[in-house]
Amino acid sequence: MAEADKQQSANSPARVAVTAAGVVSPLGFGLAETLESLRSARDCVTPVMRFSVAQCRCKTSGQVADARLLANRAETLHSARLHRASHMMIQALQEVVTQQPGFEPELTVIGTTSGGMSHGERYYRSLQRAKDLRHAPTWIANYPAQKPVIDAQAAFGILAPCQVIANACASGTNAIGHAFECVRSGRNRRVLAGGYDALAEMVFVGFDSLQASTPEKCRPFDRHRSGMVLGEGAAVLALEDLDFARKRGASILAEITGYGISTDNFHITQPEPSGIGARQAMERALKSAHISAIDIDYVNAHGTATVFNDAAEGKAISALFNGVPVSSTKSMMGHSLGAAGAIEAIVCLLALQHQFLPPNINFTSLDDDLDVNIVANEARAVLVRTALSNSFGFGGTNASIIMRKFEA
Amino acid sequence: MSLAIAGMGWVTPLGTGIDSVWQRLVDGDQAAATTVFDESVKRVYNVFRVQESVTKGFDHPRLRRASAISRFAAIAGLQALESAGLKLDSRNAERIALIFAISNGGVIYTKRFYRAIVNTGAQTASPLLFPETVFNAPASHVAAILGVTGASYTLVGDGAVGLAAIKMAEEVMDNEALDYCLVVGTEEVDWLLCDAYRRWRLLRQAPPIEPYGNQNRGMVLSEGAGAVLVARNGVSSIESAHAGGYFATQSQAGEVLERIVRDLAKVEIDVVISSANGTFIDRAESRVLHELTPNAVVYTAKPALGESVGAAGLWQVIIAAQALSSAEIPPVLHAHSTVPLRLARSRTPIPNARNAIVLSCGLNQQAAGLRLAIR
Repeated sequence: MAEADKQQSANSPARVAVTAAGVVSPLGFGLAETLESLRSARDCVTPVMRFSVAQCRCKTSGQVADARLLANRAETLHSARLHRASHMMIQALQEVVTQQPGFEPELTVIGTTSGGMSHGERYYRSLQRAKDLRHAPTWIANYPAQKPVIDAQAAFGILAPCQVIANACASGTNAIGHAFECVRSGRNRRVLAGGYDALAEMVFVGFDSLQASTPEKCRPFDRHRSGMVLGEGAAVLALEDLDFARKRGASILAEITGYGISTDNFHITQPEPSGIGARQAMERALKSAHISAIDIDYVNAHGTATVFNDAAEGKAISALFNGVPVSSTKSMMGHSLGAAGAIEAIVCLLALQHQFLPPNINFTSLDDDLDVNIVANEARAVLVRTALSNSFGFGGTNASIIMRKFEA
Repeated sequence: MSLAIAGMGWVTPLGTGIDSVWQRLVDGDQAAATTVFDESVKRVYNVFRVQESVTKGFDHPRLRRASAISRFAAIAGLQALESAGLKLDSRNAERIALIFAISNGGVIYTKRFYRAIVNTGAQTASPLLFPETVFNAPASHVAAILGVTGASYTLVGDGAVGLAAIKMAEEVMDNEALDYCLVVGTEEVDWLLCDAYRRWRLLRQAPPIEPYGNQNRGMVLSEGAGAVLVARNGVSSIESAHAGGYFATQSQAGEVLERIVRDLAKVEIDVVISSANGTFIDRAESRVLHELTPNAVVYTAKPALGESVGAAGLWQVIIAAQALSSAEIPPVLHAHSTVPLRLARSRTPIPNARNAIVLSCGLNQQAAGLRLAIR
């Protein structure tokens, strides 16, 4: 960017537009299917088929169907070798590229937690059996966390350097938040941001071993909640300096206006019980957006449906907001970890574009200790101008972003 | 915006402490290799490990169940703060960000956790191990030990991730509410990693690492951590952190490196700290440096310290800062005699050196670089 532009940016931070978005998740392939699933409150959690869950408490997750995921892939040897996560990233980026063919990012920031973990699992199992190792180099080459990002960029001739953020379940929101700050500061004009994660046995068993996942339905903020279910998917957003985007005639889907990040050092897997970390992230996002809590029309909660997480987040939300509608869309598709924040940013985007509140399904009644206005079981048509999305992760990492309906 | 290095720390197979490890490098020492094995497979590998005495006695409640990778990171991070004379308290804890660079992460616990699933079933998987398998576990522990309550990021990538983390620190420091960013690169070694890199034809069974050779004989893995405290003022200035890029095939690595070095070498470059490690990287770096920085003295520490992947970039930055401030460069060990670069074959004075490039080409398609200057 030219020095003069940088100087101008320093004086007045750039507004940050979302000019394209792509998603693949248990809710569907692409924005249209995702919108339909959200409006119809579709429960997309199904029995796990990818590996044995016979010894796990939890038997279900949100899953992306391979039949569709792999149907459109190029029939090349290279394509056949890629990890499912690469195909998810390619699918999500395809939608972005279709919407904005001229979008040339200067940087790509993507969140994940597990990279190509299932390839690592196959390699280790083969080692233990001491056979079937001839594919090991392929598994190893496609295991690193940056590989699906590079694969997706390469598929569309995008050469931008990539940053892969692994801040556990906050990764996707952190990636979007960092990308937002890079554009707002004037450092970059166009950045791709998002997240991905594909279901893997090790991670599934990990959450099961912690008894964080549930054998029942995922019921965020419900008095009968008993844990999370996992999910998977990928989502990518094209972030762009708003003035620059308008000059080139790009359509603006929404604006990102604020980002907050905090670290609470309470415990590696549990949030600080009063919700101070979550609250700090939301407060910092509001401050970053130069708005107050009353300006928020909808909160897409992290809402994993674990006892401790929902209690802490619920306390933080009720301490900060006065009756704002809240839902956790993880109830419909599971928790896709590093992809969750990015997919949920797209949920907020759709809510802003189509003026509705996405539902928190499987909800029976509110936890007595919480004071949160849940969008229970059905989508609601209302005026939504500003939405806040939360993601909190292991290690006490907390992130919130704020998105606003674009009004010219 | 030009940032600076205010403090540094490292944990390496040659010991810990900036001055003592630097002295050993300058003296031409090489870390001693040890063997690693797996209970179920006969093959043995050589690695450069951090000696137990380095981490012994360093304790904190958060590290009780933590893997070596977190301990290395904590020791290096605290060294960096100490060398800068910075004490964190509740007042300034919000004004420091933390960025971790990691490649393979907590592989020891990951293997142990998954082995239980494979061998004895999911019901026996340990809930104590699982949290330590997550990439950001080391960052979480260090944040808790230091009391950092603001931004904390874990960046994952290949050997270039350390420099990518410095670049990210530059971006994060655009926020004027921050005074410092502690960048830590950390890695632990395990038999499983050695086996994986061998199958990928990047590993040498045993030392030495022979950089810039005609044949790519491979690298030897190592472990440890490097930490750099980035601030707005300091003796060594980060003049330019290059965002780098990726290459689709190994043969294209040189193109990305060329772009990086062209951008960074807009001033006379006196020193290059390269990432040559006995693999395909060496030829790519050698060609680019021969063409674009023919007068620079080139050094790689990999024959002495091994390939520590996520920690390697931070070690390189520390070496560059040390070389500029002490005006000398350690000898490159085991290099081929016909390399067309200005390699320091012995401890070499560089009295007027002002600018250094740190170049990092990873084994998994990423490359990055930065230019350091002494003020």
